Amino acid sequence: MATLAEPIRPGAGRPNVASANIQLPGVESYEQVDREIAGTLAPTKGWFALLGISILFFLWGAGAWVYQIYWGLGNAGYNPPVMWGVYIITFVFWIGIGHAGTLISAILYLFRAGFRTTIYRCAEAMTVFAVMTAGLFPIIHIGRPWKFFWLVPYPNWRLVWPNFKSPLIWDVFAISTYLTVSATFLYVGLIPDIAVLRDRETNPLRKRLLAVLSLGWRNSEPEWRHFARMYLFLAAFSTPLVLSVHSVVSFDFAMALAPGWHTTIFPPYFVAGAIFSGIGMVFTIIIPIRKFFRLQHIVTINHLDAAAKLALATSLIVGCAYLIEFWVAWYSANEFEQAYFWNRVFGQWWWAAWIMLSCNMIFPLSLFSQRLRRNPTWLFILSILINLGMWFERFVIIVPSLSHEFEPWQWSGYVPSWVDISILAGSFGWFFMWFLLFIKNLPVIAIAEVKEIVPPRLRTHAPVADIDVTGHHVDYSPETPGERE
Amino acid sequence: MTRGLIAAYSELDALVDAIEALKQRKFSKFTVYTPTPRHEIEHALKPPTSKIRLFTLIGGLCGVTFGYWIAIWTSDYWPLVVGGKAIASWIPYTIIGFEVMVLVGALSTVYGMFILSRVPKITQTIGFDPRFTGASFGIYVEAEPERLKEAEATLREAGAVEVKNER
Repeated sequence: MATLAEPIRPGAGRPNVASANIQLPGVESYEQVDREIAGTLAPTKGWFALLGISILFFLWGAGAWVYQIYWGLGNAGYNPPVMWGVYIITFVFWIGIGHAGTLISAILYLFRAGFRTTIYRCAEAMTVFAVMTAGLFPIIHIGRPWKFFWLVPYPNWRLVWPNFKSPLIWDVFAISTYLTVSATFLYVGLIPDIAVLRDRETNPLRKRLLAVLSLGWRNSEPEWRHFARMYLFLAAFSTPLVLSVHSVVSFDFAMALAPGWHTTIFPPYFVAGAIFSGIGMVFTIIIPIRKFFRLQHIVTINHLDAAAKLALATSLIVGCAYLIEFWVAWYSANEFEQAYFWNRVFGQWWWAAWIMLSCNMIFPLSLFSQRLRRNPTWLFILSILINLGMWFERFVIIVPSLSHEFEPWQWSGYVPSWVDISILAGSFGWFFMWFLLFIKNLPVIAIAEVKEIVPPRLRTHAPVADIDVTGHHVDYSPETPGERE
Repeated sequence: MTRGLIAAYSELDALVDAIEALKQRKFSKFTVYTPTPRHEIEHALKPPTSKIRLFTLIGGLCGVTFGYWIAIWTSDYWPLVVGGKAIASWIPYTIIGFEVMVLVGALSTVYGMFILSRVPKITQTIGFDPRFTGASFGIYVEAEPERLKEAEATLREAGAVEVKNER
């Protein structure tokens, strides 16, 4: 704390807590960490109800997909030349959601941003399930899902290989790598926590299962030493990976010549948007979790405040990219580009563009207010708006470009069909089904990492030392505002 | 024949004192357990740096080589000649090379952790107490039978909550 900001006295004006070093005075001992986090695993009626609703949505979407497979891709609302629609929009949307998890678990780990500790497990699980959801959409979109394996380079008797110069093949590599690495990252991070659950478990069957899943982890010092090193290297690999994945997704567009797509701003613009949408989804998930499980002293207001600053920063980058796109269209003096952007904001698609601009660029400006950053209700409402806005961002990127290309005879409209809408709804059911199953079977907050920031019990009554961002021990002054709700 | 003792500590500084006392009295075979990694334990033990980075380096190099190789070899094997452009173009293939490097490098890092930490373990009963994953710190000391008394005294002097015989 000492290195980043002056110590804060309780009640001394507005708290400005260093995001790097958020402490948990509401958590006094390791026993309390175990008890409270393991306590989230007891199923409740509300959980069963939510799981039931998610499964119903999933079945609705799965039914629509079966219908589409049987009757053909004509049942999706494609209207030539708009041959990319809800499926590709939703694919990019879920991939974007999947970016916050690795940002929070890997990039913020390398940057020693302390506020990640209590929210990263949740974000990481969200990433894995979001990428699992996203991965389904290209398969749904190709219409003949049983031919999907043609995208994979495998030796075959015709000696035909995929074209490695195609962005669609880059996508296959980027997304399958991302899914594998983020799932591995989630699982290895869970190993010590599963060991905690294993040793608390009384049911022999569950204990046996947890023992297998924990791989016999014992919390010994050599295990931790290799674990910490592995975690560091995984974080170092995941950091460029997360930036590459959405850059590659943006190449799906930027490599084409359609107006509005063929631009070099796309990779950073997509990455910032992805992280922004992911943090939106983190708020949508973590705010109900901390309330229903009464974990407000573990996921504190200061954590939400710090994450909201990140949302604000990425929103500003995204907003800047939106404005630069208009500027580029004007400055290029390219009439197709200019006509496209005019049509996007004041023409055929004005309503979608204004949903995007207001939800992603205008409403998040409210996060400049500290009072709103520290208001979970507002953050939750805003997170829903961000999710909506980011879905419409992808709509605005895809549909207006394809429906308004170079020649007027190419221009058309696009209306999603009931199959599109059902599969979109089904994807939310599928995502939340996995997430709900996760939170009742495995700890949604990292037990071992929370213990790292809880002061250990000492024989001496010396002031409790704390490790600052540079790794030095400093005295910790308790009772920073916002740490207890 | 060596025998072992398990000591549980509820305080971190007691554990650190015990590590230092054991080192002073030349007990070399002991394992420390901690619910969460702490720098204090690392400073007391001064362990060598983990060798995991070798797994990461070798895995990453194998991955990037394979990624470039598969893309270049397949384009060369079935050339698609378009407008005199390069058949094997290293710029787009960098994406493949990078992604495969991350994939193989990350998986080999995890594999390295498994090898070096000796997980998965089939049995974990020797020299371990379930409370070490909860709130207790712990030490498992292995020593010659004639030195067990001394080891026990060392562990207790440092403030062990409980010391028990193992095996």
